[in-house]
Amino acid sequence: MLQYQDKIQAIAARLLKECKVDLVIGFRRGTVPMMNEPYVARTAEQTTNLIWDSHCGINLTNYLTDRKEKIGIVAKGCDSRNIVTHILENKIERDQLYIIGVPCQGMVDKRKIAQAVNGAVDQVIENGNEITIKGPAGDKTVTKADVLQNNCSLCKHRNPTIHDEMVAEPVAEQTDIDAYESVRAIEAMDIDAKRAYFEKLLEPCIRCYACRNACPLCYCPTCFVDEHRPQWVGKSTDPVDNMTFHFLRAYHCAGRCTDCGACERACPVGIKVRIFTKKLEKDCLELFGWEAGLSLDTRPPLDVYRPEDPDDFIK
Amino acid sequence: MSDWEPKIVSFLCNWCSYGAADLAGVGRMEYPANIRVIRIPCSGRMSPKFILAALREGADGVWVSG
Amino acid sequence: MGIEPGRLQFSWISSAESTKFVDVVNQVTDAIKALGPNRYLVKNQAKVA
Repeated sequence: MLQYQDKIQAIAARLLKECKVDLVIGFRRGTVPMMNEPYVARTAEQTTNLIWDSHCGINLTNYLTDRKEKIGIVAKGCDSRNIVTHILENKIERDQLYIIGVPCQGMVDKRKIAQAVNGAVDQVIENGNEITIKGPAGDKTVTKADVLQNNCSLCKHRNPTIHDEMVAEPVAEQTDIDAYESVRAIEAMDIDAKRAYFEKLLEPCIRCYACRNACPLCYCPTCFVDEHRPQWVGKSTDPVDNMTFHFLRAYHCAGRCTDCGACERACPVGIKVRIFTKKLEKDCLELFGWEAGLSLDTRPPLDVYRPEDPDDFIK
Repeated sequence: MSDWEPKIVSFLCNWCSYGAADLAGVGRMEYPANIRVIRIPCSGRMSPKFILAALREGADGVWVSG
Repeated sequence: MGIEPGRLQFSWISSAESTKFVDVVNQVTDAIKALGPNRYLVKNQAKVA
C-alpha cells in the first residue's frame, strides 16, 4: 500500500507543479483510526498529506459533480466506474479530469475490525494481507480477506475502467464469486416473508440520509425526500416512510450503481442498504446485459430504446 | 368485505390510452368504475414516485398504460 | 419488494383501440379484486386541509 501512496503523491505533485490540474482530490489520514477523509491538494507541498491504505472506502466521485476546474482525482475501480457514470450524465467533462487509477485490493470494514477486538480500536497496521489491530483489549492479527467490506469481497472490477495514469500494475480480478446470493435468497421469499424482511431491515433507520449524501449518484439539487407539494415521503421514521425512501432511492440508482458500498459504509446504524441496489444491479445485468461504468461509448439501458428490450410485463 | 370495490389509480398517456378511454366513452362502452384516471402527457412522464405515492394514499392497484 | 406483482399493471393501448381499453380495464380490475385490499405501504396520515 505504501508504494501506492508514494506514487500517488509523486503524480499529484507533478500534476500540480506542471499546472496540469488545479487541484487533486484524494485522501488524508483522519483523526480517528480507519476514518480517512477526503482531501483536496491545491499545491505541490500539500500532496504529502495524500495517503493510501485500506480505509479509503469513501467514493471521491461525489466531489466532482458540476465542478468547473481541471481536477486530478485518485480513483479505485468503483470510483472510476462512477466517474464514467458522471461523464455520461454530463456532470463533469472527461477533459477536465486527470484520473490517477489505483488498482484496489478491497477496503476493510471498520465494523468488522471493531468486532474483531470487541470494541475500541487504537491503531490498525497493515502488512500485506495481514492486519494488526491494536486496542485496549489487546492486539489481534486478522487476514484482510476476513474483514473486507462486503461489496469489496464481491467486487469484479478492482482495476479502474478509465484512467490517465496507473499507480501500479493492475491487480488480478476476482473470478467465480457469486455476487447475487443474497439477492436470490430474498427473491425466493414469498410476499409476506419479503415484507417482514424489509420491515425488519429498515426498522433501525433514523432517516439521517447519510446513505444519500455519501452516494455519488445522489446529486439531485432537491432530493425527492425534501420536496413537498406533493410530499412524496413523510419526514418521520414511520416504517412506510422508511420503506418509501429506501425503495425510491434504490430505483433512482438503477443501472447506475457500481456497488461502491459508500451507502453502507456511511450508515450509522449499520443497515445493509446495498441489498436494494444489488437487486437492481442484478436485474440490469440479466435484462440488459449491463454493468454500470465500464465504458464511455455505450449509453445506459434506461437512456435508450432497443427493440430487443424485454417487454413481457406489458399487456 | 363483500361490498369492497378496489380503487385503481390509472396513469394513462394522453395520446394512447387516454384517447382509447375517450373513444370508449364516445362509443358508450361500459367498463368497471374502479379506475381513477390520471392523464399524463406521455408515458415518459411516469415515475416510480407516482406508483409509491398512489399506494401510500391507499390505492389498491396501480395501472400504467401507454 | 413486498408488493404483489399484480398490483402494478402495465399495458399499451392505441388511441383507436377502445375495445382493448375496455378489456384491459376489466382484466386489471379483476386481477386487483382477486388480490384484495392493499394494506402495504399505506400511510395512515391525518389529512391537513
